[in-house]
Amino acid sequence: MTSKSPYPLVGQSTPLGPAHSDSVTHPPQRRGLVESPYGGEGTTELTAARDSSHVKGKMEQHTGAAEFNILLATDSYKVTHYKQYPPNTSKVYSYFECREKKTDPTKLRKVKYDKTVFYGLQYILQRYLKGQVVTPEKIQEAKEVYREHFQDDVFNEKGWNYILEKYNGHLPIEIKAVPEGSVIPRGNVLFTVESTDPECYWLTNWVETILVQSWYPITVATNSREQKKILAKYLMETSGSLEGLEYKLHDFGYRGVSSQETAGIGASAHLVNFKGTDTVAGIGVIKKYYGTKDPVPGFSVPAAEHSTITAWGKDHEKDAFEHIIKQFPSVPVSIVSDSYDIYNACEKIWGEDLRSLIEMRSADAPLVVRPDSGNPLDTVLKVLEILGRKFPLVENSKGYKVLPPYIRVIQGDGVDINTLQEIVEGMKEHRWSIENIAFGSGGALLQKLTRDLLNCSFKCSYVVTNGLGVNVFKDPVADPNKRSKKGRLSLHRTPSGDFVTLEEGKGDLEEYGEDLLHTVFRNGKIVKTYTFDDVRDNAKLKESELEDLLL
Amino acid sequence: MAAQDFNFLLATDSYKITHYKQYPPNVSKVYSYFECRHKKGGQFNEVVFFGLQYLLKKYLAGPVVTEEKIQEAKVFYQMHFKRSVFDEEGWRKVLEKYDGRLPIRIKAVPEGKIIPRGNVLFTVENTDPDFFWLTNYIETMLVQMWYPITVATISREFKKILAKHLKATSGSLEGLDLKLHDFGYRGVSSQESAALGGAAHLVNFCSTDTVAGVLMAQRYYACPMAGFSIPAAEHSTIISWGRSREKDAFECLLDQFPSGPVAVVSDSYDIFKACKHIWGDKLKERVMERSEDSALIIRPDSGDPAQTLIEVIKILEKCFGCSQNSVGYKVLPSYLRIIQGDGIDLNSINEILEKLSDEGWSAENVFFGCGSALLQKINRDTLNCAFKCSYVETNGKGMDVYKQPVTDPSKGSKRGRLCLRRNSDGFIETVESGAGKPQEDMLVTVFENGTILQEYTLDEIRKAAQLWEEDVSPSQHNKEDDTNLEIHQKHIMNGMH
Repeated sequence: MTSKSPYPLVGQSTPLGPAHSDSVTHPPQRRGLVESPYGGEGTTELTAARDSSHVKGKMEQHTGAAEFNILLATDSYKVTHYKQYPPNTSKVYSYFECREKKTDPTKLRKVKYDKTVFYGLQYILQRYLKGQVVTPEKIQEAKEVYREHFQDDVFNEKGWNYILEKYNGHLPIEIKAVPEGSVIPRGNVLFTVESTDPECYWLTNWVETILVQSWYPITVATNSREQKKILAKYLMETSGSLEGLEYKLHDFGYRGVSSQETAGIGASAHLVNFKGTDTVAGIGVIKKYYGTKDPVPGFSVPAAEHSTITAWGKDHEKDAFEHIIKQFPSVPVSIVSDSYDIYNACEKIWGEDLRSLIEMRSADAPLVVRPDSGNPLDTVLKVLEILGRKFPLVENSKGYKVLPPYIRVIQGDGVDINTLQEIVEGMKEHRWSIENIAFGSGGALLQKLTRDLLNCSFKCSYVVTNGLGVNVFKDPVADPNKRSKKGRLSLHRTPSGDFVTLEEGKGDLEEYGEDLLHTVFRNGKIVKTYTFDDVRDNAKLKESELEDLLL
Repeated sequence: MAAQDFNFLLATDSYKITHYKQYPPNVSKVYSYFECRHKKGGQFNEVVFFGLQYLLKKYLAGPVVTEEKIQEAKVFYQMHFKRSVFDEEGWRKVLEKYDGRLPIRIKAVPEGKIIPRGNVLFTVENTDPDFFWLTNYIETMLVQMWYPITVATISREFKKILAKHLKATSGSLEGLDLKLHDFGYRGVSSQESAALGGAAHLVNFCSTDTVAGVLMAQRYYACPMAGFSIPAAEHSTIISWGRSREKDAFECLLDQFPSGPVAVVSDSYDIFKACKHIWGDKLKERVMERSEDSALIIRPDSGDPAQTLIEVIKILEKCFGCSQNSVGYKVLPSYLRIIQGDGIDLNSINEILEKLSDEGWSAENVFFGCGSALLQKINRDTLNCAFKCSYVETNGKGMDVYKQPVTDPSKGSKRGRLCLRRNSDGFIETVESGAGKPQEDMLVTVFENGTILQEYTLDEIRKAAQLWEEDVSPSQHNKEDDTNLEIHQKHIMNGMH
């Protein structure tokens, strides 16, 4: 436990003196390092049980998606940008890409992520940008917030009133994007944004902040798809088929993400590639913002957690196991078995005490043993080794060992794209088929990702000033990777099937064929939508990719 | 009261739907707790508790169960599991017996409190024996507390580093709470995360561009305006002038914002030439006209952060000169400052500040902006946040429970009912097995049977989370003699005595 003096640092005017070392139970009146300039009030005690709702009600009335205000959903500095573009600017055109990074060849990353899955823009458009998003109340609210926030009147009230009046509060911008689910090599344009009204040139980059957040679903979907490739390769090599691939990586990430909304977005992005999830929120996002022909796009099975095992007491782990498998006799059931000793649980409880109960189960209702601690590869191999001694193994057509169909293993601790590769490789080396196992991934799947993994960026590439179009770009001397594209952009396929981004409006020429960017949003209306089935179809592993994997 | 369109019954891990069938028969209470587990060699020894009030208000308070929500959940889980496992009866009982309010008690550390790792931060228990299964049903949602706790903790670690250097190189802590600006809005995973993370940073600082955080502090923590910003350029507003007109773009900024500070990103083409030829030459007079209250803040945005910053500050020194402050460090003229917002994390900020002070520069010259390292590059393992069941009652008898995997002893959990107290040596500790005295318990009941019983304002939270003297000392422990000696030596090394 950290040793801690109960005295705070005295205010800024006092020089650093020796800290007081005597300890008291209740620290005296605290003065902080920096005094907050804003007066404090006493803690509000809400003792009256249900009648306190008026207090909370007042604080609550602005919350919820219904009260979302696009005027307040941007980086503060963007509020000041309308004053900064060149005079007589009538159009700003920007684009989003996952930059190709010229990596240092000495620091080879295990996974290169050279293609990305485009996913998630439709959610942002549907939820935040379509329809009448500007109202007099929202303008007023923004005006008041920004006056306090900047301690100055910098807010472009006139500009927003123009949108309210001329477009009934619909955003005069056009967004063109590649189809959702498309798998596109890094360094290509994924979507473009431009103002459609010369008065509203400043609006293009106002929405940058919210649109750049599409880095997240793109990155989750891309990383999840790379894991699908690894699983496909090893499953094929060790079993001769891809059966069950869509259930090999289960989403365990709900508690490990940063918010409910993130859970919904991230989990839906994983479901682009897989069908197993415990993050219920993802299904809601898909149903509400994409739609599927299936009633639900993701499935789960009954499973234990530590509390439902440890609540029986340490001496009753066997009773807990027995109770739970009896509760779910005809469906798969996963049981976390490391509360005290995973190896003893496999050897003695599953392998001996409850063996006959497990043998009665079927391929449709296997017991799925879940380790949850230790080095993932070592633990998986040892668990398989124990179960392989206790239950009769068969050899499949490829010569790999398979546990009887009524027992399987799920590893859901410490799984990320690198450990996943290590575990399946280690299993293959030890002649275990990937049929024996499924994986769960939480933090690595939905949270341990940043915008830099795929270098997602949004840059202005074209403006019209004084009626004249200018191709613009940044090109910082200290980092050539940050150079941006120039001019109006289009995405095409070459005759050999490669993707290419044409800059400076060259795609207008007929010889390059059709632009793969389609208008999805114009002046407040969503003009093209994709169902989740479309997304999955676009993102599925291609035959050619499977062939490459199995080389 | 929680939002109407949110279905609490659908806000949990799927497997929890099946847990009511798994607890021992006749169980009547499940009691669980949340901690940031202590990890040997871990980077952070103490955490800032923040964010529970948001979750309670937004998702748990008031009647959260309705017949429609039960029906929606029933239909959904039928399809999701391809069979009926959903506890429709149990939920209907919540609706009938409690008008849809949750028969749960949550006791928590006051928000803003600084607590050493490895201590209980909050506990959850059912208040009615019928609803033993509810305690851990809400684990999923409550564990998301890792995020605001971790952001507030990391942000406070930034503050410690900044305070230490600012004190050492300027003699005061003036302006500390504006030193680290939140640039993270676009780099987080959702609007809600932006709000939550943005607000958590505002526990320690008053400087942000993540407007969503300000709104959250307003709506959930009763702070009318928790964070401030200034006009600033972005690349689009510079490059839209064309490559040959960067100077015109810069001049426009000075014209448009004559009376407050303004930040101008200056690396669109060549940060060093921009500093030397544009700011330091062509626009020199215009820059010198400005005052301390309307400083020009130059923003580099590429290259190695420390090297770039040093080179920029040297160029500016050549063009504009500098003065010495009371503790002997160099300061640019008060109308000129720098903000570094690219590549900032806890390591790089310390490295930059060390280099600056090694070269004789005061931390007064610089501000920092931080995006993903502040709001996104963190996860539940950063502080090893865990929620575990520690106590159950079965057949009317209480039992302390725990997990203790042989394969990872650090995953062992606490046992029994827990109490958090400051012991007679002044240390905060967790008393297990129900042995704590209620009058000593620092855990406060914040939620009971659907009602929030205790609220905190951001002002109170900020006070509780403020830095203490030993936080600013270079040494990690609070042996004050060593601390002063080290500060003393540092000054001597810099030739100021």
